[in-house]
Amino acid sequence: MQRHKKLVLGGVAAAVMAVTHAVSAGGVLRLDEVAVGELDPGKASDYADSILMFNVYDTLVLPEQGGPGLVPHLAKSWEADGNSYTFTLRDDVQFQSGNPLTADDVVFSLERMQNLGQGLSYLFAGVESAEAVDGSTVRFNLSTPYAPFVASLLRLPIVDKALVMANLGEGEGEMGDWGQAFLSQNAAGTGAYTVSSHNPQEETVMAKHDGYFLDIADAAPDTVRLRYGLEPATVRTLIAQGEHDISSQWLPPEVLKALAGDGAQLLTEGGTGAFYVKMNTTKPPLDDANCRLALSHAFDYDAAVKMIAVTDDISQGSAASGAVPVGMLGANSADNILKQDMDAAKAALEQCQYNPADHELELSWIAEVPIEERFALLMQANFTALGFNASIKKLPWALFAEQVSKPENTPHISQLFVNAVTGDPDTLLYGMYHSGSAGTWQSPEYLNDGEVDSLLDQGRTAADPAARASAYSALNERLMAIAPTIYGYDRQSVFAASTRVKAPALSDPAQAFGLDGMGFSFRLMEVAE
Amino acid sequence: MIALTRLIAKRLATASLVLIGVSMLIFAIARVIPGDPARIALGPNATDEQLAKLRAELRLDDSLPAQYAHFVSELLQGDLGISLYTNRPVTTDIAQFLPATLELVLVAGTMMVLIGLPLGMLSARYEGKWVDNLIRIVSLLGVSAPSFVWAVILMLLFAFYLPFFPIAGRISEQYAIDPVTGFLLIDTLLAGKPWAWLDAAWHIALPAFALALSGIGQAARLTRANMVETYNTPYIEMARSYGFSESRIARRYAFKPSLIPSLTIIGLDFAAMLGNAFLVEAVFAWPGLSRYGVAVILRKDLNAILGTVLVISATFLIINIIVDLLIAWLNPRIRHAEQKP
Repeated sequence: MQRHKKLVLGGVAAAVMAVTHAVSAGGVLRLDEVAVGELDPGKASDYADSILMFNVYDTLVLPEQGGPGLVPHLAKSWEADGNSYTFTLRDDVQFQSGNPLTADDVVFSLERMQNLGQGLSYLFAGVESAEAVDGSTVRFNLSTPYAPFVASLLRLPIVDKALVMANLGEGEGEMGDWGQAFLSQNAAGTGAYTVSSHNPQEETVMAKHDGYFLDIADAAPDTVRLRYGLEPATVRTLIAQGEHDISSQWLPPEVLKALAGDGAQLLTEGGTGAFYVKMNTTKPPLDDANCRLALSHAFDYDAAVKMIAVTDDISQGSAASGAVPVGMLGANSADNILKQDMDAAKAALEQCQYNPADHELELSWIAEVPIEERFALLMQANFTALGFNASIKKLPWALFAEQVSKPENTPHISQLFVNAVTGDPDTLLYGMYHSGSAGTWQSPEYLNDGEVDSLLDQGRTAADPAARASAYSALNERLMAIAPTIYGYDRQSVFAASTRVKAPALSDPAQAFGLDGMGFSFRLMEVAE
Repeated sequence: MIALTRLIAKRLATASLVLIGVSMLIFAIARVIPGDPARIALGPNATDEQLAKLRAELRLDDSLPAQYAHFVSELLQGDLGISLYTNRPVTTDIAQFLPATLELVLVAGTMMVLIGLPLGMLSARYEGKWVDNLIRIVSLLGVSAPSFVWAVILMLLFAFYLPFFPIAGRISEQYAIDPVTGFLLIDTLLAGKPWAWLDAAWHIALPAFALALSGIGQAARLTRANMVETYNTPYIEMARSYGFSESRIARRYAFKPSLIPSLTIIGLDFAAMLGNAFLVEAVFAWPGLSRYGVAVILRKDLNAILGTVLVISATFLIINIIVDLLIAWLNPRIRHAEQKP
């Protein structure tokens, strides 16, 4: 009997060990993001969607690695003529289905995105038409001048028209559902990775596309498992056990720090967005620019950056130098970082028409972003030192988005993380500061300043890059002078990763793309067996 | 037999009314809570035109009664609409996520019954002895901490410090199992892959145990209390005087009448696990319906909220009906009461 027991226990232990051993992966990259992963490229908008889109699909252009500018990708070249942009396509690109890439696919991709009207389709609202000049030439005609148009194409993934047309679902009109049902579960791109399986709440499994038109390193992962919605405690345990390779950027700094302490490397991606403390310019006392300037000077920028530090060297943000993040067109030098200056704050307050003690500032923070509560407490301490009364209010995102539609319901202070979705300052600043854009989640300032509007329009329409740079520099200066916002810090995403992973675009600034999610181009990564 | 049929018909009629009430209540509540579903779904960058288009598609500008009437007419055709969270039909989501949760709850429920009841019997059988004291302490611990606390503790102990169990997911990466029922413990067998079955069982063990622990404690404590009471009744004394063995008395005479009150609570615990499963699913990255339900509530995904709540309510009601039937089967007084006009 005793012998039988030993045999059974030994068998169970052997089975468990065999199964455990089989779990250790080779050539597999495992990472996580928040749920839910949207596979349809026409609807892609957030970080998880972008990772999928940039790997399964390709775009006509790519950001220059390590610097500003764009380089051809699916396109060989392009030229602009007034409001028309003509692209010549590469002739060696095939979709994962084996279909060759043609100009018709590009036209179809644009029309599909415009018709769905979801994701980042608003970037193409000004495109009047697209036409296939011949099999490998496509022309976009814009209704009005839009200088960042080519940068917008970073968000136009090209889909396989023939494959989608063969899989149209039910819907109104000839195009049915525009292939939404099909593309929510299947891939139809030219990208370096194909989709093996997709469960929007669990994981998307991708495999290397052997027929990709560019070389992919042998050490690039053969299989990628993008998991969704893992808890920080789970991610930490998984990485510690060698069962996970890269964490999401949404881990609290403490967990990232603990992982770094366990031996994980920290990867970073930044340069496209910032943390902004937005002031409602329609509500007293913040309708007086001097009061806003006083608050801007009183904010403890250094403490804010320390609050998001992961290690002594790596932080989830760096000190801001102005309204435009460092590295972007029109930004100030990284040497001119903003600092708390209580003397300047008091001087500005003296010029303000209001007595601070007569007004209570409502400091809101978004319930889904716990770090903002700490910033609210920091501001409460900073502003109280100037004589303001400040109350803190927690707002769920849904309620915040609803409240900011009316200036009278918008809190005095709102905290937001805003990104340039194409890396161009237009997609960062126009939505925040143009008077025509007021009343959205990005623009709780309700700024109405003629000079700002004019500079934003110049930046949007000037064809010459130097003129654009000059417009955004002047805009930066103006935004510093009238202070609708406290420019908290320039955001940087930090990821904890196993040392078996090499991700040059997330570790070497000279190879960074400067576009959220593109650093996760798996074809450029390497995983050790 | 007629009595049981009548009981089932009565319970089904009540359940239908409850489901209609739940659907109306959730339909109204989901629309009253603040936040624009279109804004949440389309994200912060959506334009006013995009929002207006989606609002029209979702009929959010119609009156509440008109929206509800549309929902009912679609529901009768088996269509719960599209989820704004996953951009897929809600029925597809439920079909994919429900089996994972049901499998977890069923395994946890089985653990609750197979461990909780014997522990209760053992405790009552050895009342006042060290076995009884030990079981009472352990069961009190099980009851006093919520499932997610156990989930984290068990993960730390048996997946982190002592890596005996996997941390996340339903099955290891190397097994590709085509879904037939969605229950991996069944699909792996249907696929003829016993090692995959073992792997799936290995994956479900820890989350199911975490989910079951509080129920195990509850079942053990309740069974013990009922059995201790039954042991003091004259017919047990009579059985003892006949010289029946203690184990026979426990199994045949003390356990059965003590099971009836326990069964009611076990049934409720079973159904409550559907809700409690959320945090366990989150900790163990279990792709189930409870996790989906919470995610869609946070995103105010109206169609998915309704679909999920209706399915969970229906499951809850079905479990209650099964428990009622079991109790009726065990207790002839209830069965016969149904026969009265």
